[in-house]
Amino acid sequence: MAEQSLTRNIMKKGVIGVVVGIILVVAARATHFPEVFQFMFFLYAMLGALVFILLDAPTMPRLEGAKAVIGLIIFYAVLSGAYIGGASILPQYDPEDEKGKIDKVLKMRKAMSEQGKAEELIARAKELNDRAASIEKQLQSLGGGAVVVDDAAGSSSGAASGDLVALGKEQWELQECYNCHKLFGQGGKKRGPILDNIGNLMKPEELREKILDPKSWKAEGFDKQYEKGKMPDKYKDLMFKAEVDALVAFLATLKDASVNTPKPIKMK
Amino acid sequence: MKSRGTVENLQSWLPKVKHSSLSGWSVFWVLLLLPAFVWAQDAATQAMSVEYRDIPWIGSRNLVWIVAQQHLLLAGFVLGVPIFAWICEIVGWRSKEPRYDKLAKEFTKLLTSAYATTALFGGILLFLLIGLYPKLMAYLSDVFFPSFIAYCILFLLETATLYIYWYGWDALQGNKKGLHIFLGFLLNLFALGIMIVPNSWATFQASPVVLGDGTAIERAWTAMQNPTWWPVNIHRLIANVVLGGFICGAYAGVRYLLAQTKEEKDHYDWMGYVGNFIGVFGMLPLPFAGYWLMREVYQYNQQMGITLMGGFLAWLFILQAMLIGVLFLGANYYFWMGIAYRIPGSAQSYKRPILAMLVVLMVCLGVWMTPHSLVASLAEAQLMGGTHHPLLGVFGVMSAKMTVSNLMILVTFMSFIMYWRAGKQETAAWAKVAKAVMGALLAIGGIAVVVLGVWGYFVPAIIRINYFSVAQVLIVLFIMVTFTPLTALLMKSAKTTTEMVWGQMPIRAGYALVLNAVMVILLMSLMGYARSSSRVHWHIYGVMRDTSEYAYSPALGYAAAFMSLNTFLFCLLVSFIFWVATMGDKVKKGPEQGQAAEDPTKISGGVTPAMAGGAPRVGEETLKI
Repeated sequence: MAEQSLTRNIMKKGVIGVVVGIILVVAARATHFPEVFQFMFFLYAMLGALVFILLDAPTMPRLEGAKAVIGLIIFYAVLSGAYIGGASILPQYDPEDEKGKIDKVLKMRKAMSEQGKAEELIARAKELNDRAASIEKQLQSLGGGAVVVDDAAGSSSGAASGDLVALGKEQWELQECYNCHKLFGQGGKKRGPILDNIGNLMKPEELREKILDPKSWKAEGFDKQYEKGKMPDKYKDLMFKAEVDALVAFLATLKDASVNTPKPIKMK
Repeated sequence: MKSRGTVENLQSWLPKVKHSSLSGWSVFWVLLLLPAFVWAQDAATQAMSVEYRDIPWIGSRNLVWIVAQQHLLLAGFVLGVPIFAWICEIVGWRSKEPRYDKLAKEFTKLLTSAYATTALFGGILLFLLIGLYPKLMAYLSDVFFPSFIAYCILFLLETATLYIYWYGWDALQGNKKGLHIFLGFLLNLFALGIMIVPNSWATFQASPVVLGDGTAIERAWTAMQNPTWWPVNIHRLIANVVLGGFICGAYAGVRYLLAQTKEEKDHYDWMGYVGNFIGVFGMLPLPFAGYWLMREVYQYNQQMGITLMGGFLAWLFILQAMLIGVLFLGANYYFWMGIAYRIPGSAQSYKRPILAMLVVLMVCLGVWMTPHSLVASLAEAQLMGGTHHPLLGVFGVMSAKMTVSNLMILVTFMSFIMYWRAGKQETAAWAKVAKAVMGALLAIGGIAVVVLGVWGYFVPAIIRINYFSVAQVLIVLFIMVTFTPLTALLMKSAKTTTEMVWGQMPIRAGYALVLNAVMVILLMSLMGYARSSSRVHWHIYGVMRDTSEYAYSPALGYAAAFMSLNTFLFCLLVSFIFWVATMGDKVKKGPEQGQAAEDPTKISGGVTPAMAGGAPRVGEETLKI
């Protein structure tokens, strides 16, 4: 590689890089690429130009002693800056999404634990206390007349108990059952059977038995998976009774006869 | 409740003491110590129920992240360097070239101080984990305790072997060299054990298995044999070789930048070449090991695979592609500069192939960095006609990515072959046939890799994963194992047209070596983050939830900043280790520095292996350069 002057080298290859970059951006824009990609394509072209420039670049003057060390630190800072910058301009995963999911799980589990029950009682007592104070205030303002009771205030416990089937669907998501079972056209189907019609094939107590002891039932045609113990034997330890109840309630509602859910076979 | 019970127990016990033969002093001491005893009981009860502790300001997770990363990188270094040193020692032994033996010894010397630093960080990490994550550690100790014992025994064996290997270096020369090589083998064998035992703990967290009943040893063994254990073992083993090679290269690069004398420049230029060579050759099979690991992850838990490759961590793999792409560019660039500067006159004849290779690398990098799913606004998605771009949807899938990664490996391998052949003319009668066969193999192999990649779009995923991708890998491996011995045989009888000149590389070669090492360290940090994040909010996936306030995965930009910090800290630590280990040498060399540094650049007669990058001169005693 013949040595060329640095300026000529940069000018020539830099211009080629910019031209290629513009062509890529125009092509990307014409084919409706999002802007972030148009920008990325331009960067590809410039990275290519940079490598070409470096390939033919003349020898740099040698730095010595402390200058060489500072040169290295600056080099690292540039690499590091490019890396952090590159990672930061990519679409960012928002940790708040995961925090929300974790909070949901923990809230439910906490509510079922002893501590949760105690906290719920305290919260309920506080709520009653507030209502009593509110009623007393109203009585005072009305001079002992009619009492208006806010029905909505008392409905919170109903919301806390929630819809069992909806909670079961939530369990389906949280326990990641879709990983192995296809349902409503989504999820895996190789390790476990499709479950859209399971409510017609198994009774609730049988469903519970299968969840808590995966070896108790086998799906027809899933002998290999059954032998290999593909369904984890962990839910009896991992889930509270109420969580299992909710999941069973949800599964029992799955009665789409048009879907060919494999026949369950009792094994134990 | 618990403390009251304890007091009541003691009260019921006290009258018995009074009637016993114990003196009144005993009663006095018991009464005096009673509050402390009760407090201790309370503290013990409380301690048992603590799940997490935190560190103010920095946070427990961040602190563990830093310390664990330093420990793991240092561990990678101390496990990778013996492999590197052992390979160099064997090459020196077989080729009878003392400079390889010297290089191996130079790096083994680092091990003693690096080993202590690694163990120190391991100890700090252990204390932090016990203190900050007591519940998790209690569970893991319960499952893995027998393996802890095995780990300690392996550590003792490794330490003893390292001492004998290092201190016996000079004593075990000549006809005892075979014994020393065997010690090096043992050192690496125990090091492998030291690596795979803790790997089982970490992989169990990501892919736990049902433990069932049995003895403690049986339970530990079952837990160790989790689905991702061996894929991670193999991946880390290769990655450690790569790390060892590139760190050696970076060290040589820095020393080359700081070199004052010609001898120093020659020596560190050569050392940089060897480090880059070993790093690159380790890097070539690494994507295959990574592919195997991901396959096992998908087989174990499809959701975990989706989280990694198509879920919130998907963009991390774009970053990984960028790092690997730059690493490939850096490694190739160093080879190309070697052709241009070490073999004068070769640059012109290789200019066109180099430009073609660079274009192929850039195109491959572009494809590898193409994401499958786009983050687009509603308006942008409507313009595209869906969430997948009609063109990106084609390039952003595994079929395309596997194809380009194989092509990049092929290009890098060809860069090395080109470097090897530069400045030499084949004299063997069968040279033309051999070159024609190699050319045909390369063309057919390259086309086959592309055809399989395109065909992969039209077959079910299982066919693509189990057959097509495997076939692509085998084709590339076949080319590599065919070309290497054929080229070696050709070069054995080749005539040198241009002597190799060391110490002439421009200083950007030194920066290229530093760049490669930084990329490898960042890559290791990034993939550690990926593996850890793939567990999402679980300490042990599906078994023990992370209920701490740090259960979520940090965002990519934040994580990248942390990785940069960890890389910088690791570079500082390694620089310190190098500095400490070479302090004595500087004093020893003193006035005879020039003389001492001259030896390594001497090349003895006989056939110089490819690794040396030297020009073979049969019958010549010493090649002055």
